[in-house]
Amino acid sequence: MIRRTRYVASEAFPRSRRRRAADVAFRVGALAALAIVVAPVVWVMADVVARAIPHWRWSVLVTSTVGTGGGLENAILGTLVLLLGVLVLAGTVGILAGVYLAEFAGLGRSGKPRGRLLRAATEILSGVPSIALGLVGYLALVTGFHWGYSLLAALIVLSVMVIPYIARGTETALRQVPTSYREGAQALGMPAGYALRKVILRTAFPGIVTSLLIALAISGGETAPLLYTAGWFTGTPRASLLHQPIGYLTYPVWTFWDYPSNEAHYLAFDAALILLVIVLVLLVTARVIVNRTQRFAESRRP
Amino acid sequence: MANDGEHQATSRPIIGTTDSRSEERIDPILAALDPDRERPEHVICSQSLTLSFGQKRILDSITIEFRRGSITALIGPTGCGKTTFLRTLNRMNDKIPGFRYSGDVTLEGESIWGPSQDLLDLRRRVGMLFQRPNPFPMSIRDNVVAGVKAHRIAKGKQLDVLAEERLRQVGLWEAVKDRLNDSPFRLSGGQQQLLCLARALAVGPEVLLLDEPTSALDPISTEYIEQLLRQLTPALTLIIVTHNLGQARRISHNTMFLYEGELVEHGPTEDVFERSREERTQVYVTGRMG
Repeated sequence: MIRRTRYVASEAFPRSRRRRAADVAFRVGALAALAIVVAPVVWVMADVVARAIPHWRWSVLVTSTVGTGGGLENAILGTLVLLLGVLVLAGTVGILAGVYLAEFAGLGRSGKPRGRLLRAATEILSGVPSIALGLVGYLALVTGFHWGYSLLAALIVLSVMVIPYIARGTETALRQVPTSYREGAQALGMPAGYALRKVILRTAFPGIVTSLLIALAISGGETAPLLYTAGWFTGTPRASLLHQPIGYLTYPVWTFWDYPSNEAHYLAFDAALILLVIVLVLLVTARVIVNRTQRFAESRRP
Repeated sequence: MANDGEHQATSRPIIGTTDSRSEERIDPILAALDPDRERPEHVICSQSLTLSFGQKRILDSITIEFRRGSITALIGPTGCGKTTFLRTLNRMNDKIPGFRYSGDVTLEGESIWGPSQDLLDLRRRVGMLFQRPNPFPMSIRDNVVAGVKAHRIAKGKQLDVLAEERLRQVGLWEAVKDRLNDSPFRLSGGQQQLLCLARALAVGPEVLLLDEPTSALDPISTEYIEQLLRQLTPALTLIIVTHNLGQARRISHNTMFLYEGELVEHGPTEDVFERSREERTQVYVTGRMG
């Protein structure tokens, strides 16, 4: 049976030398692409781990920075506070913007697409270099409003930077929700908001979580805007939004590498390692959340 | 209810009856017990309904009445406006760009576009079943009561009772009672469609619109669903779009034939199939035109 099928197939598409060459070329190309993506990941991770581990002290986690030495507790806590703030601020605004774009900005009564201004604005915003955002944040918030280096200024600049990603991710995820779900909800007479919460957002949840994750990873790894807005602080974060600088992990990575002391270099790599771990933990957490909530997803059909 | 039973008995098997309603004999006691006796005989009436999307006219002056407790088959070639007509009845077309209509559709004597008509309640009263089963991504039990929760018809323990009742009504209970918290997408296509039917029935509709409900299903499921639909009358009024002429003949009391947005012919199913007044109808029902 199999032989016969093969025979027929090869008759219809003779395995010419050209076809075989094309086949090999595609395989090699695909493997090369894979290597180009995987190699830097492995390289970066291996390098950071290899340089951080030999000098690793657990006390880094629980002591604060003193000059260019000491630990990174202040920076770790600062980064976590910043991530939480971005999650709340950018998450809220970004998801709402995405919901608006996907669900309510459809076609106006005149047939023209609404929400074009919002969509164009998010596109432009996602193209603005982060250092420019940082500078504007510094001029407007830190010196303009006299907020000084502060948590709020940093949060606002980081949020402005990642809101486009969240809005776009949410919009895309919502657009991928099958029409049949929407029609089913409509035909049952579900109020639009109820259907959105109970059926549509639930289906789009993995996409939204992914966009939040990317937003958090970007903000956690961002340096330029924070140099301008958060400043640097060697104490643990204070419960104050204004006039109080805050530490973060990318600062030692960026700054300490330039100091002529081994201790400063070690701290730079420790900070890089901790950042990597934070991002990995975020990834795993997001996966777990998505898996928990997608028990009933159509794509989960065995 | 009584006069519907009577109606079926007199109108369906006797060939040659032209106007079935004139033959009815109504038992006065049963008639008094009929909960619908005070209500108009026709649940839904379409009065010269003309509908277009932009410049394109889809439906052309459709006038038809749907009798309470009957099954009406809506037949016609692809693109003739069957689905559009069906979706107009629960106002699923309103939001489509360019939607315009003239004429009127009434539900229990009240215009479905009337100012006092609550859209959500209208859709509760006029349920719909789609061509492809579309359970929601939630557990089987939650699917059945999804509409009930949205309309706050019941809550708490009542929901479980209601879910069981509806699943039993569609004959799905035995198959799913041990996995009410499972994903509905593990069910077969036919079972998924039954689940959707249970979901639609749970909110207590008066009319059910069915858009080719069995065309994605296997013959056994199809036969089962047809049988189930017959059992839903005369409590419910059904309007079913179908490409399957055999199905139309098997289950419907009345048939309406649409052709290019025009209601060419309608009447008792047997008349439409056996004694079509219009040539186009005859050509279609005898299979000479797709």
